[in-house]
Amino acid sequence: MSREPFFRRKTSISYKTEEKTVLRGYNVSDLAEAGYTFCDAMFVLFQQRLPTEEEEKMLEYEMGEFLEHSMSPSAASAFAVISGRPNIPAAAAAAVMTFGGAHGPGAAHGYMLHKYIERARVEGISLEEMGKILVDEHMDAGLAVMGMGQPQHLDGDPRAEPTHIKHEQLGINGVYLELQRSIEKHFNERRKREGKAYVSVNMIGAGNTALAELGFAPNAAWCIGCVTRGFSCAAHALYQMKKGRAWAASKSEPMVQMLDLSMIKYVGPEDREVPNQEERQEYARKQKEEGEWKKWVL
Amino acid sequence: MGTIGNLDDPRLNYDYSKRERGTVPQDKTRAPFQWVSAVAYKNVHRIVTRGYDTTELVEAGYGLPDIIFIDFQARIPLIEETQMLNYVMVLSLDDGLSSPAAIARITGSSTTLLTQACGASILAFGHTYGAFDSFGKMLDKYLAMVENEGKPTGEVAELLARENLDAVHLGVSDMMLKDPAAKRTFARAEKLGVAGKYIAFMKEVVAAVQKISDKPVDLDLLGAIGATMMDLGFSSDATWVIVAITRAFAAGAHWCEEVEREPQQRFGEALTPQEDYDGPDDRPVPTLEERKRFASAVEYKTPEEWKKGFVEKQKMYGTGWRIVEDIVDPRDFLKKQGRK
Repeated sequence: MSREPFFRRKTSISYKTEEKTVLRGYNVSDLAEAGYTFCDAMFVLFQQRLPTEEEEKMLEYEMGEFLEHSMSPSAASAFAVISGRPNIPAAAAAAVMTFGGAHGPGAAHGYMLHKYIERARVEGISLEEMGKILVDEHMDAGLAVMGMGQPQHLDGDPRAEPTHIKHEQLGINGVYLELQRSIEKHFNERRKREGKAYVSVNMIGAGNTALAELGFAPNAAWCIGCVTRGFSCAAHALYQMKKGRAWAASKSEPMVQMLDLSMIKYVGPEDREVPNQEERQEYARKQKEEGEWKKWVL
Repeated sequence: MGTIGNLDDPRLNYDYSKRERGTVPQDKTRAPFQWVSAVAYKNVHRIVTRGYDTTELVEAGYGLPDIIFIDFQARIPLIEETQMLNYVMVLSLDDGLSSPAAIARITGSSTTLLTQACGASILAFGHTYGAFDSFGKMLDKYLAMVENEGKPTGEVAELLARENLDAVHLGVSDMMLKDPAAKRTFARAEKLGVAGKYIAFMKEVVAAVQKISDKPVDLDLLGAIGATMMDLGFSSDATWVIVAITRAFAAGAHWCEEVEREPQQRFGEALTPQEDYDGPDDRPVPTLEERKRFASAVEYKTPEEWKKGFVEKQKMYGTGWRIVEDIVDPRDFLKKQGRK
């Protein structure tokens, strides 16, 4: 058996020999033996340091909360992927990969906080004032203020405000929470002035703020949130695999299945005849000129 | 418009010219579709997994590994079980630049989202690297002989060793002869009182393999983590995916480092040296007019011709013909049922 490196890179993350696997200088087996938790190891991995007990507690809290969110795009993806019965990691991978610009956009929120904290520093403005500037700039430009609102939890994500409170209770609050709180305050003050309903902070606003405060870079924070969700999505996929029917379209099930033909609603072009090859060129030219197709271009 | 192609062929199952148009009406005779789950639900104010409100869980001091137990096993774990899962997850987090990290970096080198790289790293878990599913199913198969047929564990462990000596998912290999991490995992499980039938059996398997192996071997990390996770109550496929996801956190760090330190790859940029190539020699492309002279069909008319062609095609790498996968043979089932 060859144990030659599979892939070569200069790396400051880890190395592995016949004797040990070393992460940021720590033998991972020794870390585990000493009783450090997986959340402790997250700090080692992304920050090259062991956290304080309070920091570890905050991360346990957050990862615990992030883990399960019932049917979100990620769980729905895992459910759909496993209905074709690939290997279970494919469903978990699909779930993690649903996280983008709308579902858990943690990195973008982190970069937004960084940008405005830096502006506060350079421009000599308090974070309280900078929160108002951030809100006004975004709302004036017609942009969403990241970290606010959730399409299912209309009265506020049940996890979000408790996360802020835990963040304060553990005494790890700093610039990030100060700016985030200011954003929330000014966002809703402005909405009130404009006659709009109150919108609460979501788990990006609350959770990502705490992760930033814990010292995680925006992408590291994003990784922690999204990959943690992968665990519950894997459980959802296993449930579908072990208790549900492959293909999710069986007529024998008492409930109409996700991919039953009757679930399809079509709103595209009317059914039309297929032109034969002799007619094709003229047909295509005319169709292109008429331009009706542009209505359907994606 | 007349018939299109073969769509009037009498062998077709129905008349293609009379097929209905439009979608299928909604089925009102059955309950409407819902996302059915025994894992979790949420409403406007709550997220509930296996009956426990997740915010109440974390407020009460439960953490990540506790909620993994709840999600996968619908139970609050013992403190020792949580400690053991933490231990296993720390061990599983990083494995140097092995395939999950490499694939995350390759994905990241195209300037992708971090989540694509993490997802790709999970896909690296198969039936060789991180073969927890195959490993666990192997243990279950042989332990069933102990439980259902009353055979002694030592005898079954020896049978497992003989029948799986070269299996990549054996969990016993020469990879951990100098690294104590695998054996420490079992020792920790025993110390915490969470070791059960899988660890006990795996220890017998290790001894049995050591007896017949022609080289020094010992428990490896696949065997250590796999048996420990199963003693913690996780199924083999749950173990597989939990470890794969755990590894994806480190893949995220590798994505970051790749983006931070390495040049990004453009389409068409990377060269492949000709000295690494062992396919057909360079040759001129025939014109379309010449095509008939060069092109030859490979349809075989008899099984014998087919077999010759099959063997010939297996000489070519990258065609897929060299990969032979074993599929279920229904005769085995019939034999088990005493019908053959």
